[in-house]
Formats: sequence, C-alpha cells, structure tokens
Amino acid sequence: MSASVLLLTLQVAIVATVVNLPLALAVSWLVVKKRVRGRFLIDLLVALPLAIPPVAIGYFLLLLLGRDGPAGAAIRAVLGVDIVFTWVAAALASAVVSFPLITRTIMVAMGAVDSRLEMSARGLGAGPWRVFLTITVPLAYRGILAGVLIGFVRALSEFGATVIVAGNIKGQTQTIPLALFTSVQTGDDQGALQLVAASIGLAVVTLLVHNWLLQKSRLQNVQ
Amino acid sequence: MSPSSAEGTTVPVLSFRVKKEFQNFSLECEATVEDGVTALFGPSGSGKTTLLNCIAGTVSPEEGRIEAMGKVLFSSSVGTRVPPERRRFGYVSQDAALFPHMDVWGNITYGYNLTPKKDRQLDPGQLIELFQLGPLSTRNVTTLSGGERQRVGLARALATSPKLLLLDEPIAALDWVLRGVILRYLKRIRSELGTPMLYVSHSISEVMALADSTIVLSEGKRLAHGPTSRVLVDPTLSRVAELATLENLFDAEVSSVQVDDGLAELRVGDATLLASDVFAEPGDKVMISIRAGDVILSLDISSRTSARNAIKTVIEEIHPLGQRVLVYTDIGERLAVEITPGSLRELGLHVGQQVYAIIKTNSIMIMEPTQPRPGPGL
Repeated sequence: MSASVLLLTLQVAIVATVVNLPLALAVSWLVVKKRVRGRFLIDLLVALPLAIPPVAIGYFLLLLLGRDGPAGAAIRAVLGVDIVFTWVAAALASAVVSFPLITRTIMVAMGAVDSRLEMSARGLGAGPWRVFLTITVPLAYRGILAGVLIGFVRALSEFGATVIVAGNIKGQTQTIPLALFTSVQTGDDQGALQLVAASIGLAVVTLLVHNWLLQKSRLQNVQ
Repeated sequence: MSPSSAEGTTVPVLSFRVKKEFQNFSLECEATVEDGVTALFGPSGSGKTTLLNCIAGTVSPEEGRIEAMGKVLFSSSVGTRVPPERRRFGYVSQDAALFPHMDVWGNITYGYNLTPKKDRQLDPGQLIELFQLGPLSTRNVTTLSGGERQRVGLARALATSPKLLLLDEPIAALDWVLRGVILRYLKRIRSELGTPMLYVSHSISEVMALADSTIVLSEGKRLAHGPTSRVLVDPTLSRVAELATLENLFDAEVSSVQVDDGLAELRVGDATLLASDVFAEPGDKVMISIRAGDVILSLDISSRTSARNAIKTVIEEIHPLGQRVLVYTDIGERLAVEITPGSLRELGLHVGQQVYAIIKTNSIMIMEPTQPRPGPGL
C-alpha cells in the first residue's frame, strides 16, 4: 500500500466533510429553528441518500456530471474541465452519501437547544445570526461534532457511489476501499490486510480527535 | 426615567393595542403603560404571557399597534414589525433562561456588550453589586439555586439598560421564602434604578406589594385598568382573584432580637411588630407576609388577649367584595384586613374610625431563608 492511497482517502473525506458542514448547519437551522414551509419535503430529501443504494447515487451523479449531463456540460463550458473520474468526483460522491448522517445528527442536536434561550438572546439585543453563532452552535456543539464524526467516517469508507462516478484509477481516484476491492479481486492478501489495518488506524485516530475536541469543549464549559 | 418632549407632555413608556386569535381563544387588549410598575394580572390562561410576548416581539399579533417611548414597534396597518433585538426591552421569564454555556459574568455581560455605548446607563459591576452576585460571578450558572438564577436573570436584562423591563411571573417558580427575597430586589430596582416594569402575575399579593398600576386580564379581555389600590377593590375582581389568600407583603427591618423567648421586634412602616421564629439579626432588612384573614380588627384593647401586637390605626377604606369585606388601614403601609360582612355590621365600622389591628406573632411570616446563621464558634 502506498502513502498516496492514505492521503487521497483523507483528502476526499476531509473535502466532503468541509463541504457538508456549512450546508448541514444551514439546512438544520431552516428545518429545526426557522421551521420553514416545506420542511417535511426537505427532511425527506435529506434522508433519501440513506435509503437508496450508493451505486444508484453514483449513477445519478454520473448522469448529472458526465460530459453530456447538465451540470457536467456547464462546468466544462465555464472551467474547461471534466469532473467525472477525478478525485473531485470522489469527494462529491462521499459528500452526497454522508450528507444525511451529518445533517440528521445536527438536526437532533439543534432541536435539543431550548428555543427560549434563543429568544432570551434576541431580547438582549442579538440578531438571528449572532444568536445562531453564540447560542445555538455552542449549545449544539457536541451533536455537531458527533455529526461531523459520523459523516467523516462514512466518507472514509465510501465505495459504491465513488466507483461509479470516479472510477478506480490508481493514484487519482483510488481510495482505501477501492484499493481494497482491487487487492481482494487480484488475490493480493498482504495488500488487502495492510489496507484493512490502515482503515482501522484511520478510524481510531478519528475517534481520538473527536474525543479530544469534546474534552476541550467540556473544559471550556466548566470555566 | 420617562422622557419629556419640549412641550412638557410625557410620552408614555408603552402603549399598545393587540389582537391575536387562537383556535379557541382570542386576545384583545389595549392599554397605556406609564412610569413605575404596572402589573398584568389575571388567572392562568387569561392571555397575560401572550400579551407580554407580543410586546417583547417574540409573538406577532394579527392586528394592532405597539409603541414605546414614541417609537412604533409594531403596526399592522403600516406593516411595521421591529424585531425583538431592536426593541430594547429587558425580558425575564419564570425560569430565567440563563445561558448554560456561560458563567454568571458571561450571562450578565451578553446583552451589555450588544448595547450601543451611548445607550449604556447601567454597568455590569453596578448590577453585580445591587444583586449581591459578587461571589458568584465566575460560577457556572447550572450550579445556581432558583433565587440566584433569578437574580442573574434580572441583572442580565437590566445590563442592556432597557426602556422597560418585561417580567413574566419571575418569582412564581420559586419557593415561598425566596419569593420574598426576589420581591425585595424588584422593589430595589423600582426605587434605586427607576426602570419601568411590566409585571405579569397571577398573585394578587405580589401585585399589591409591587405595582403602582394594574391591568386585569380575563379570558383575553381587559377587565380593569388603573391604580392598583383602586383596581384591587373593583367588585368585578372577585371573579378572577383568589382573595382568600391575600397576603400583605411588607418591607421590615429587624430592630432587636430577644433570644430568650425567640421573638424579634420588626419596624414596619410606622409600626413596631413582634414576630416569632425570626432567624435574623438586628439591622437585617427582610420581607414579611401577613395574611389579610389573619388580622383581627378590634374597637378597643381592654379585653385580655394572647395576641402580642395591637396597633392603633385608622380605617381608610372599606370594600364589600361578595362574601368578604376588605378593610384597608394605615400603619405606615397599607394593611389589608379581611373580615366578614357580619363583623362589619356588628362593629359598625366606618371610614375614619379608629381601630386596633391585632396580629399574633406567629401570623407574621418572615420571607427569608430560615437557616440560623453559623455563630462565631462554628
């Protein structure tokens, strides 16, 4: 196993999570706090990628981003590049697949923040944006962190959607799960075991970082 | 506190006309609130809190107009709706709603830091002192007691130098003793800071102790509005108020404590009262409660009685309210006494008459934490 597989896996998962987080916060706020019209529909759309096979999501992304797809054609016209079969497509596939996990976790966390506290902050002179940043997010912090963790580990292990829309190109789109698939297919047992060990290592490090962040927030609260 | 225009006419602190429909309830109320403390009194479900939320801006009325200090905050006809953060009201709810992720100081300065410098009239240090929060300022608010939380809530709201303090039953969730403590702080806000207050309450005793004027709400409609002393004797009020539990809530100062018989001498208004079970020291300021039904009126004190307090006083008002009669006498504070229509007839009581108010020592309740203070040897 080369270090590039590990780095590419991390790169894809980090980009997917970084793209997802603001979007998940915004959607959660609209549904849980703003209680916009049609939130039932939004809720359904958010949950949808959970319920359909990742391969179907990959296929849908391929249709959308492919040379002749509406999004693919537009990107090609503006930037002059193709997205499919690049690491960007892999990150996008991971983002779509992990979005329901991060969003639904954050929704629950935000829903648990007492709206009377937010009202109090409004009454004390804070606008909606400030209330979000100083009351809602800090009080939902642990849930947001949990959402990020779940989304990130899901992105690390993403296979089905990625293989369709990004392919399995060594050094370009081959993340750990894809490399593992190749190793198993070609009977490279030693390579496969190395990749499994790398997956476990990544999971453990992620959990440790998560716990460290939690600990830090708890210490701040006590002060 | 209330600003006057060049012509000398006073702009009301708040004037509102609010109409809000619910499925099986409709609120329709209109009033002008002046300086001082205004109570919004009514039984639960009468629409008091909804009305307060309309004024605070967290609930939008269907129809109406809300104006504070000459500035329109809400108008259904013009389509104005100033958001709560720009209304400059302080809001204190029953449970204080303190921010659990900030310490006491963080809570108090939250709104202060958001208040434009030119509008800052009270600073957090001053409020910490007023509410005696100094030793608590770095404490995590989740570790505070109910009374402490409410003190922080009041300080936090006042730190924004509000034009009006909106109080939604701020002491209803507290135990009886702590109610007295917070009530004393509310009275200090009135006398030392002069911030106008709109005080939602379903306790007639609190209203009587605190409010200069009172708006009575019942089933979403205004039943009465005027000076508290007038409104509370309105015959229509007996329909909505629990007069049976009417308490006189007075500020008192402990003048001496007689250790041997456990009695303490209290200064209340012009009178000196003897009370039992007082865990306080001379010089302490406390709030006391005397139930109107526990006071006896007597034409003379010739008859021997076990009651230790007999205060010579004059009847100021007599109000027959259905099954009971409310008599107000002056002991330097307005002392409400509840008697029966039969007693009124037999004694032939009338306004201006001299009587004795007789109160047993154990009818005087001290509304302060009762645990004895540790002595020097402890």
